[in-house]
Amino acid sequence: MESPEEQLETLRRLRERALQGGGPERIAQQHARGKLTARERLALLLDPGSFQEIGALATSPIADEDQRVPGDGTVTGFGKINGRRVAVYAQDFTVMGGSFSAVQANKICRMQDLAIESGIPIIGLNDSGGARIQEGVRSLAAYGEVFVRNVLASGVVPQISAILGPCAGGAVYSPALTDFIIMSESTGYMFLTGPDVIKAVSGRDLSVQELGGAAVHCTRSGVAHLSAPDDRAVIELIKRLLSYLPQNNSEDPPQIMPYDRADRVETALNTLVPADERQGYDAHTLINLIFDYDSFLEIQPLFAQNAVVGFARLDGYAVGVVANQPAIMAGALDIDASDKIARFVRICDAFNIPLITFVDTPGFLPGIEQEYGGVIRHGAKIIYAYSEATVPKISVVVRKAIGGAYVAMSSKQLRCDLNFAWPSAQIAVMGAEGAVRILRREELRTAADPARLMEEFVAEYRRRYFNPYHAADLGQIDEVIEPAETRPRLIRALEILRTKVQQNPPRKHGLYPS
Amino acid sequence: MNDIGFGLTMTVVGMGSVFGVLMVVWGVLILISRIDRPETSESTAQTLDETQLAAATNQLAPEEIAAIAVAVSLYAASLRREAAPTMRSYWPGSLLFASRWVAAGRTRQNQSWQRRR
Repeated sequence: MESPEEQLETLRRLRERALQGGGPERIAQQHARGKLTARERLALLLDPGSFQEIGALATSPIADEDQRVPGDGTVTGFGKINGRRVAVYAQDFTVMGGSFSAVQANKICRMQDLAIESGIPIIGLNDSGGARIQEGVRSLAAYGEVFVRNVLASGVVPQISAILGPCAGGAVYSPALTDFIIMSESTGYMFLTGPDVIKAVSGRDLSVQELGGAAVHCTRSGVAHLSAPDDRAVIELIKRLLSYLPQNNSEDPPQIMPYDRADRVETALNTLVPADERQGYDAHTLINLIFDYDSFLEIQPLFAQNAVVGFARLDGYAVGVVANQPAIMAGALDIDASDKIARFVRICDAFNIPLITFVDTPGFLPGIEQEYGGVIRHGAKIIYAYSEATVPKISVVVRKAIGGAYVAMSSKQLRCDLNFAWPSAQIAVMGAEGAVRILRREELRTAADPARLMEEFVAEYRRRYFNPYHAADLGQIDEVIEPAETRPRLIRALEILRTKVQQNPPRKHGLYPS
Repeated sequence: MNDIGFGLTMTVVGMGSVFGVLMVVWGVLILISRIDRPETSESTAQTLDETQLAAATNQLAPEEIAAIAVAVSLYAASLRREAAPTMRSYWPGSLLFASRWVAAGRTRQNQSWQRRR
């Protein structure tokens, strides 16, 4: 029988062993790769002294005695980020390559369950070589346990995943089921099948970064939402992203003390839209002039750049911003842009973040590739997301709002609360030239000078339909506003709508077009 | 006619007395302000010499002071971006006030499991 002193000594020794992770040699190797250890990452992420570890002494019963490390390759627990309670897990690559085991899954699931019950965000720092092969089907079942909790937590509490090292095979689905993925550009990569399999199947020789690095997932696949150069920058980005999100789907996001004047009138906006409608402008300029200074955090900035989405603040309140980007593809909506907008709208709706939409799109991108790729069902996602959303919704038609894209981009019929338009707005069924060719076909065919007549008809069409006043007459636009006064108008509108409550019909779940 | 003369006399005397008293008060106030004025010493009017400046800035070079100022403003901007408590006017998921998560959750807990008739 051990004395109390000996019992305490045993506990302290085990705790000390858990803190060492894979040992000094493995830690040095981790540092040499440019990565921090799991505990170093958590120390940067969480407020000092706030971390409360859960399952620090758990070991794998299947592993050999000499390979058993307290914690079993993952550090889980609760802590605070800027005073806000969060649940965290960090995979420890220094312990058996961070390989995923049943014990790891138990720890992560326990933490997920407590987070869902307590209504606090879950943050996962991924750095794992994959499933622990020695555990066989146990480690595969373990993935399933985590996945189902990812789904149960979806839309209830914010879930943020950081990819700071390898994330391969089945492991990729846990981050993919979370709300946001932030990748380290230097060390993070994720793929289903590694370069060796790709080479065997297709003969292409790719590096891990070429196959699944941040550059791939932030630009081409759209799997990742944000990236940063290294571990530290990723952790800073997590903190910033969290600042726009509430604790759970019942709460509001944090409001910060206003630091930018609510009545700021930006005369530069009056001249932002070029007189020549074929010329683009940068939607970022518009966003930065309207929202609180330096508050815009763009999500997926390098993916589907013809649409801009992100979080910003208006008078200290967090809002979601959706805008077409006229500087790229004239702001036309394609498959990727539709997916990007629809997902972002749903995230904002899930977490009670009001939506502000700036419309300047000539429509959905025409083309065989788009049609074959299913632009119809992808475009339908935008309509579904906006229609389903019950958060305050405000839209501003900046310039073009043509055809189906006008309807899709937060139109009055999709339960948008307030629709504003600038005097430069052009709201019509289709472009002037196309419309005239259909409406005046006979007259143009028989005219002596069709080109001159076409010009006349186009000018008349523009005068009659290419303005916001026709839509305002019909109640499709609530108010035509001066661009310079957009900020104060939006702030006042949000002040009214902040207490908006709207309910959808009860149902198990809708059938989202996918 | 005598009444009008008397009235005018009284008006002149009355107004004269009031304005006379006001002028006396005005003079007294000026006198008090002159007597009560703090002495201006030459040392405060002078600009700080180099030794005093160094002492006031804790021996820091102007470049170092500028760097500190930039660091402080960047730190404040970082706190603001992260919605740190010092920058916050609303506390999400507060434990001090009735959390909506708790309120809504406990309301659901207390709903009767029996079917409504």
